[in-house]
Amino acid sequence: MTMQRRTLLKRTGAAAGLAALGTTALPYGPAVLAAQDDMTLEFWDTLNSDPRQTIVEDLGASFEEENEGITVEHRGWTLEELQDTLPRVVESDQGPAVAQVNNGESLMGPMVRAGQVVDISGYVEEYGWAEGLPAGLLARNMYSADGTEFGTGQLWGVSAEAEIVGFYYNRSIFEELGAELPTTLAELEETMQAVVDAGQTPLAFGNSDGWTAIHMFGNIHGTMATREYLDGLIYRSGEQSFDDPTIIDAATKYVEWVERGFLQEGFEGITSDDAVALFESGAAAMLMQGSWQAGTVSENLGENAGFFLTPPLDAQAAATPASASPVASPAAGGAAVLHVGGVGIPYSITSNAADPDLAAGLINELVSEEAFSAFVEAGLLPASEIADDQITEGTVSGDLYSSWNTALANDALGHYLDWAAPGFYDVLVSELQQLLGGQVTPGEFAANLQEFYAASFE
Amino acid sequence: MSIDRATPAEATQASSSNDSVGDPSASRGIAFRRIEPFLYLLPAVLVFTLFLVAPVAGTVVISTTDWDGIALDSASFVGVQNYIDAFQDSGFWMSLWHNIVLIPYFVILPAVLGLIPAVLVHQLKLRGARLFQAGLFLPYIMPGVLIGVVWRWILNPVFGPVNAALDWVGIDAPSWLGDFTWALPTVGLIGAWAAYGFCYVLFVAGIQKIPTELYEAARLDGAGLWQEVTAVTLPGLRREMAVVLSVNLILALRAFDVIRATTNGGPGDETQVLALFMISAAFNANEVGYGTAIAVLLAVMTLVLSVLVLRLFREADA
Repeated sequence: MTMQRRTLLKRTGAAAGLAALGTTALPYGPAVLAAQDDMTLEFWDTLNSDPRQTIVEDLGASFEEENEGITVEHRGWTLEELQDTLPRVVESDQGPAVAQVNNGESLMGPMVRAGQVVDISGYVEEYGWAEGLPAGLLARNMYSADGTEFGTGQLWGVSAEAEIVGFYYNRSIFEELGAELPTTLAELEETMQAVVDAGQTPLAFGNSDGWTAIHMFGNIHGTMATREYLDGLIYRSGEQSFDDPTIIDAATKYVEWVERGFLQEGFEGITSDDAVALFESGAAAMLMQGSWQAGTVSENLGENAGFFLTPPLDAQAAATPASASPVASPAAGGAAVLHVGGVGIPYSITSNAADPDLAAGLINELVSEEAFSAFVEAGLLPASEIADDQITEGTVSGDLYSSWNTALANDALGHYLDWAAPGFYDVLVSELQQLLGGQVTPGEFAANLQEFYAASFE
Repeated sequence: MSIDRATPAEATQASSSNDSVGDPSASRGIAFRRIEPFLYLLPAVLVFTLFLVAPVAGTVVISTTDWDGIALDSASFVGVQNYIDAFQDSGFWMSLWHNIVLIPYFVILPAVLGLIPAVLVHQLKLRGARLFQAGLFLPYIMPGVLIGVVWRWILNPVFGPVNAALDWVGIDAPSWLGDFTWALPTVGLIGAWAAYGFCYVLFVAGIQKIPTELYEAARLDGAGLWQEVTAVTLPGLRREMAVVLSVNLILALRAFDVIRATTNGGPGDETQVLALFMISAAFNANEVGYGTAIAVLLAVMTLVLSVLVLRLFREADA
């Protein structure tokens, strides 16, 4: 009798333990699935710090006001986290209706092939999202319907922000040296040589994290390459090779810059953030960086800083733009060079959106005139032409906005070379470090890139 | 004495008296008692299966597929192709080689660095040893990423203190972490610094277990400091040695955090190790099947090597 009670206690104890295990071991209970309410519109992006976060969350709030009964939820991630999380979440029929999907093979290609994003071409036409954007930029967000061809076919995303990589410069150092803004690459090199001769550092540069070298190489290469060649490489036409005279010439020029002392001494051991800090402290005459850095540069150097785009190879090249639409404005270096940059990570509608029309409405809010104005007011670069009355001359952002308008008018935006193949980023970082460290010759560099690129077609 | 508080022996007696022949519940009772112990194991087995067996099995399965890590239906079975690819991939061998080069730095150097202060503290009966001990243990409790960030700053060629000091005495120092010659030894030394605190604490504990009579006997036999160390301390630390070497060996093979935070495999591929190579394959190149195969290889190598080290010491023990 008493024994039975003891056994019973043991039994119930075991059962209780199992029950407790059951509740903790299954995180995706029905309660979690039920939270996926039609009335809640969730959007994920990389705008995870101010001023960007406030801007998008304000836009989300105004969308809520315009659409009764809709709750908009925003979640800002780091790019890497978003990239790792998004496809897996959408695959399990959860997650956001609208999300930033990184261009090319890094994410958009795989997600298109997996049927995880929605073709938005219809909405693009309906809302006029493509107005004012050159074909070269729109192609970035295009894939064929089966997701096999990049840069052509349907539009899968639309960008709110834009970016362009060029030179920030220290006005007082330029004035001390009596240097003018360079109109050709040769003039830029003369200026850098003058800075070296004066015992200063021409270019703040840190390459231990590797990506700024991709941008710098891309801009040097952009002075030598044609759009046909570069588009072919990035959109993987299969007709272009990295083992190309322009790649070798650009690599040779880049090594020459190292040998002539144009780059920050010790650049191998410092990061790109270190380089920005050095430039902002006045320790270097120039810094090659993206438009996203304009805010901190102007905070630290104020009116002492300016911005110009990579100048063309020579004056003759300046007169013949690389792109199809020759709008003349070579002075700012906007023509004849395919600048590293483009539109930012685009917003896409995921297959998880309960109401794609509603999701498209939210995207329209994120790329509206109000959105663009808010970006400009915060010193950020929106994915559209900047109105003249929003450009203040003599400031970093003023220089940046006019440079951007010139590049946009000339369809002179090139590519990020790491888009060429999945995993190519790591290869480029490694090969460029080896090139600058004298471990490979420009010829070997080009051949190594091509070897990996060719293998990616197999 | 109430049977409620029965001792195990009494309980057995009581229950066997219950199991009288002809009782219909008796056979059920026996069956239950037979499976009863397994029921107690069940929660642990479930947790173990859910969080260890299932992921490991899943990893092995994924490693036999060609999968981009996104939609499961895009995965296709390729058998051992990923393993064949790994053996034919120069990047795999290069990364493995860097792991091997790091073994002296991650395994032997921290053991030596931990042993010297442990012996000194013990033999010389240093004052303030506790404070000293806390200081020596400090690097071990710091997260690897933090260690990496701190050392990256210390070794910064432009505004770091090490190069500034070297410059002051007239030495033109390299960019330690960005230099093709120095990067690998430098991350190795940082790794040794991160690991020696653990060795030190184990050795100190081990030395305290060595009977003092042994030292007294050695001294009576006329042993000096050095002889005491070689004849008494080192043999007495054999087990700690085995633990230190196998733990450090595992750390050397799966080296990741410190390297990720200092060089991320660079410059070029000079400090590329298997763990970084695996991450790059799985998440940057979207070849999750291939990356997983490398993870399996890494796990198997670690397992085999640590079993070997432990066996080596067990034989020495016997």
